[in-house]
Amino acid sequence: MNVNFKIWRQDNPHSKGHFEQYGVEGLTGDMSFLEALDHLNERLVANNEKAIAYEYDCREGICGQCGIFINGRAHGPHDHMTTCQLHMRSFSDGDTIVVEPWRAAAFPIIKDLVVDRSALDNIIEQGAYITAKTGTAPEANAILIAKDLADKAMDAAACIGCGACVATCKNASAALFTAAKINHLNSLPQGAHEASKRVMQMTKQMELEGFGSCTFTGACEVECPEGISIVNIAEMNARRAKAKWWG
Amino acid sequence: MALTGLFLCLFLMVHLSANSILLLPESTARALYNSYSTTLRESLLVKIVAYVLYLSILLHVGYGLLITLANQRAKPKKYAVNTFGENSSWTSQNMGLLGTMVLLFLVVHLANFWARIKLGMGAGVGMDAQGHVDVYEVTYSLFQNLYFVVFYTLLMVPLGLHLHHGLKSAFMTLGFYHKKGLRVLAKVSLVYAAIMAIGFGIIPFIVYLK
Repeated sequence: MNVNFKIWRQDNPHSKGHFEQYGVEGLTGDMSFLEALDHLNERLVANNEKAIAYEYDCREGICGQCGIFINGRAHGPHDHMTTCQLHMRSFSDGDTIVVEPWRAAAFPIIKDLVVDRSALDNIIEQGAYITAKTGTAPEANAILIAKDLADKAMDAAACIGCGACVATCKNASAALFTAAKINHLNSLPQGAHEASKRVMQMTKQMELEGFGSCTFTGACEVECPEGISIVNIAEMNARRAKAKWWG
Repeated sequence: MALTGLFLCLFLMVHLSANSILLLPESTARALYNSYSTTLRESLLVKIVAYVLYLSILLHVGYGLLITLANQRAKPKKYAVNTFGENSSWTSQNMGLLGTMVLLFLVVHLANFWARIKLGMGAGVGMDAQGHVDVYEVTYSLFQNLYFVVFYTLLMVPLGLHLHHGLKSAFMTLGFYHKKGLRVLAKVSLVYAAIMAIGFGIIPFIVYLK
């Protein structure tokens, strides 16, 4: 299988950046998208050219590092999928595949396809923790939590912080990410102590980081590898209103 | 955006119900429509609501503009290729454009009616047999012009689209997060938007054909 990659190259945060075309031959449909990039990089290195910088870690869809914008979609053409889980069989022989880094003012480009997602960490630092003493793992069973509540918290906790929601949003809003972190802990008794402080501080930090505001296009929940529902954002808004007006 | 938007949604319902008087036969419609509009102009409560309405429109437009600019700053560089049609509706991605079209309509609409009747600009407005300001005649004569009929009807398409996305997302902005409720809300938004767009859009044609 042969494809034509059109990849964003940028040396450093301050350089201008441009697209470069690479014809890649000898790929198979069973290769993951990242393996296809590796295949191209091996050739570049062998030719004494600079390898294309991109991030990855687990390559099994759970770490959220491999954030790349592929052919107009965050993580490529499929819904709810990370880039490492995307295979070349999703493309056709001879396709031109446009590969771009996440675009958002809050995610400055470090090099090529690598962006700095520290802004998400800064939001986490503002309240995605608990101070309640919960003991060791077996003691977790001592705190009774209704099944539906546990499920709801778990659905939100599934967020892997990949930033696809920000990348795909036309406003570069981090509302889905922030809502997932808030609703995860605020739904549980362990997180109740800081509930109001958490929602106020984390949403404040979200604004300070330069993310845009949510206009409910719904693109984020489609691109989210974990399928986190946009309803979480509405719930965050409700929690924020409650914290603001009633403490 | 949400609060002013919802207030405007409420206003449109009242506006459309009043407009439906225009669908009655001419003899009844003229008297009823004129006496209704006179009652509105003379009521203190309606005057207060009218000022809230003006303020809502200005705030909705002004805040919408500010928030759009801020959102563009949050995403200064766009993607070379972006197939957002695969993950969201065109309407939700273009609320600003649709809103601008609605605003364009509103300017023409206010010039046609509000400026003539309330501000006394342009051609004078006569009285009907009951001594009420003949707003019916203003409407009727405007919609003898096919250009205005087409303009008024066509611009109800962006209005309908804007309302369809606006109504449901306003509720979510205000923190309505009941899952089943949101599914119902999505349907209600669609029906509401369709009634508004078709209702407002068809009346000029019916008046034209009268």
